[in-house]
Amino acid sequence: MSAVMEQRTPSMLSAAAGDASAFSQLIEPLLDPAFRLAAVMLADRAAAEDALQEASIKAWRKLRQLRGDERALRSWFLSIVANECRMARRQRWWSVVKLADPPRQEADAGDQYGGSTGDVRRALLRLKPDDRLPLVLHFYLDLPLDEVARTLGVSEAAAKSRIYRAAHRLRPELTVEEVF
Amino acid sequence: MNREDFRRELRDGFESIAGPPEAGLAGRVHAALVEAPERRGPVWIAGLAAVLIAALAVGALFIAGPLRQQNPPVPGLTETPSPLPTSDVSNLPAITCNNLSSVDTTGHIGQPIAYVNGVRTATHAGYDRITIQFSNGLPGDIQIATQGSATFTQGASGRQVVLQGSAGLLVTMTGADENTKYTGSTDFKTSYPVMVEAQQVQNFEGVVQWGIGLSHSACYRAFVLQGPDRLVIDFANT
Repeated sequence: MSAVMEQRTPSMLSAAAGDASAFSQLIEPLLDPAFRLAAVMLADRAAAEDALQEASIKAWRKLRQLRGDERALRSWFLSIVANECRMARRQRWWSVVKLADPPRQEADAGDQYGGSTGDVRRALLRLKPDDRLPLVLHFYLDLPLDEVARTLGVSEAAAKSRIYRAAHRLRPELTVEEVF
Repeated sequence: MNREDFRRELRDGFESIAGPPEAGLAGRVHAALVEAPERRGPVWIAGLAAVLIAALAVGALFIAGPLRQQNPPVPGLTETPSPLPTSDVSNLPAITCNNLSSVDTTGHIGQPIAYVNGVRTATHAGYDRITIQFSNGLPGDIQIATQGSATFTQGASGRQVVLQGSAGLLVTMTGADENTKYTGSTDFKTSYPVMVEAQQVQNFEGVVQWGIGLSHSACYRAFVLQGPDRLVIDFANT
């Protein structure tokens, strides 16, 4: 047995051996943050449930590829969910209608908002999904920077840069110190 | 704006978009995992296995005679369903283009009346799925008929009901009851590629019927599984 496998708990080993119930229990605490991530990425709660369901099946099938123990599971699972959301957005033409974001108005000029929750919501939805993702992970799901980095598959410095860049799109006046 | 204000604003904004998941989400994911065909390992192994199984099946059918019939085959259609009365989810039947089929429930029928206790829908890569789950064994007879519209006739009232979609499939389960154990929805509207709606159209005198609205005529497979007993119908969505 490899060193990677030796770090795993019995429930992870059962899940990796094909026990669907064991895997279901393993990811149950992650379904809430994963759903919130998908719902924000797709701006559609029903589509988010579908994406999460599909991502869960894919994760189960790929569990043997997970490097690390249960502590690594969250970022690994969230990265699969995020990827599934990307696929859902581009899968079919009707997705464009169904998952349409509010029209981007002068996107390059910034997506600043006025301050009310409605303004914030609209500004967040106007962000490109790839800009929205690091903000969701860090500010909504409260993932620490190293975990954001693992979920995005980038270095910690790159993750910090992406968070700041997206935050800056919303609030150009923000300094790095005001974001982190 | 300070750091905490910014964080709070973002959190509120995201919460207004997403919010908490529905209470049944964990159950839905669990059911999907239990029913998902287990496809592990490199894809080429699964592909090779499928080709070998198909070759063996065709060879067996040829030797046994069914493929030696005099009638010319109709391209794209198979005349018989591919029932699989087994709980082995790793060996599901192929999706075929049937016009009418009965699902083989041999060896699964328990009591005179099977109680429907769950109906679920899901979409997966390659297929949309409806699962009808039973307690007290499977119904004595399950018939499936395709149709060129999504209009169905309600069993007791005789009223016409028009589902979403332009084609349909009617599932008739004789020796079944949906009053006793089932409290879920009797009308599922989905945004799946093919199976766009599923609605109960009869639950009367031991016969339960579900009409399924399809976005277009689609090939499908129907089979039963055990533990728990359930009827599964998959519609090809690619």
